[in-house]
Amino acid sequence: MKINVILPAVLLAFGLTALSSCEDGISNVSTAEAAKDITGSWKVVQLTRNGEDLSERLDLTDFRIDFNPDGTYTLAEQLPFIANAPGTYSLSDPQYPFALILRPEGVQEDVVARFQFPVVEGERQLSLSFSLGCESNVYQFNFERENQDL
Amino acid sequence: MKPVTRTLLYCYLAVGLFVTLFLVHCGLTALTVTVPEQAMVNERVTFVMHSGAEPRIEEPGTYTTQLLAGIMVPKSWNARENAVLTFTSPKGNGTMRMIPNSEIEPVSGVNWHQAAKNMFGIGPNLVDDFEWIVYRSTQSYTFRNNEDINFDVNVECNVGAENMLVRLGFYVGSSIENLRPEDTDYKKVAFSQVFEVTGGEGDLIDFVNPQLAAIQPVRSLDNDIITLTFDAGVTHTALDNQEDIYLTIKCFDEAGALIAEVNEQTDKTRLTDIGGKRFLLDFWPRGYFNLEKDQRIARLEYYCTDATGTQRVGYGNTEEPFTYTFRCQ
Repeated sequence: MKINVILPAVLLAFGLTALSSCEDGISNVSTAEAAKDITGSWKVVQLTRNGEDLSERLDLTDFRIDFNPDGTYTLAEQLPFIANAPGTYSLSDPQYPFALILRPEGVQEDVVARFQFPVVEGERQLSLSFSLGCESNVYQFNFERENQDL
Repeated sequence: MKPVTRTLLYCYLAVGLFVTLFLVHCGLTALTVTVPEQAMVNERVTFVMHSGAEPRIEEPGTYTTQLLAGIMVPKSWNARENAVLTFTSPKGNGTMRMIPNSEIEPVSGVNWHQAAKNMFGIGPNLVDDFEWIVYRSTQSYTFRNNEDINFDVNVECNVGAENMLVRLGFYVGSSIENLRPEDTDYKKVAFSQVFEVTGGEGDLIDFVNPQLAAIQPVRSLDNDIITLTFDAGVTHTALDNQEDIYLTIKCFDEAGALIAEVNEQTDKTRLTDIGGKRFLLDFWPRGYFNLEKDQRIARLEYYCTDATGTQRVGYGNTEEPFTYTFRCQ
């Protein structure tokens, strides 16, 4: 019976000691989230409409977007995309962005796409969601960087 | 094994057995629905769900839960705004409240309405322009063993302004059971017979019968990516036994003036065979017709043709073209 009381007490004491000994180490680890860098040339690898995957049925080979270090972007011509002209881009937040904000040339308003930046099968993806025509139709474009390994 | 451990093991087994028995023998009875055959556009119609509870609980246990009820209706009915659900039962009558979008259904991890859509789909309908909406009773009810009851859920809803043929979806469930895929006792689903809405302007939207040709999404604009399907199995046409089906298509502006026409039998217009005598073509109308920035397409007219372009099939297997109007409402 004695052992039943003593053993948990000893384990608890060990646990607390271990916790306190970690304190300094934890506080010294940098927790700053890196700023998201989307510069480069991106090609579409997946396209869904209302959750239905259209990637295999549409020719996506020319579907690419370039984000330049100077804050501008360029598109291949004539694509179903929220912007139909080149312009400038920004993220809603440098570290924790939830939206990509585009300002096409000749347009007075920003166009906004929901932004995600996941790693899928070891490759960084740029995932943008938006409507093109009716708001009830939601498209998700998943891009991968071209020449990512170089 | 120590006596204490053995007792614990027996306790676990007993609880497991109790839960299993309870799941097997308790639940809701099959759902049936009373739906009128037809209604006029914008009419307020009442649909009734009939079900019951058959609690088989080991005495002196009880089972306390809230009633769930769901409806699947065309989005254009705007049922979230105007549907009212009430229920009558020997245990009391009450009004049901729509579950907020922010509340997550625990099993699926998405909100209740999306979870119901994912689980029940669109039933026997062929075209998806539906939403599931799930409601919950405001009160909880406690059941004792063998306290069998029947209950009705009444759905009052305006049927919208569009002519249509549709089969509506209905669901009843128990709030504490959530939407578990494997559960067949606490979630009951039924789809109505064909319900017709008449008296409105515009084309009939037929959700039920196979269409020779159709464009999805049902609601879209010329900047959407649309999918055109041709179902050669619907009826005998001039294109029977054709391996390759092509599209010939015209687009018109709001004033009815022709903007552009694509009439060629090339890869651009060839539909992909997806099996089962069905063919489809996905395209982005603005790019397909090479529109200028300020041009807007209001309407499409199209035929399906053979590889020579001489044999063609139109609306209802006639010489009239299939039509599609771009709109969001």
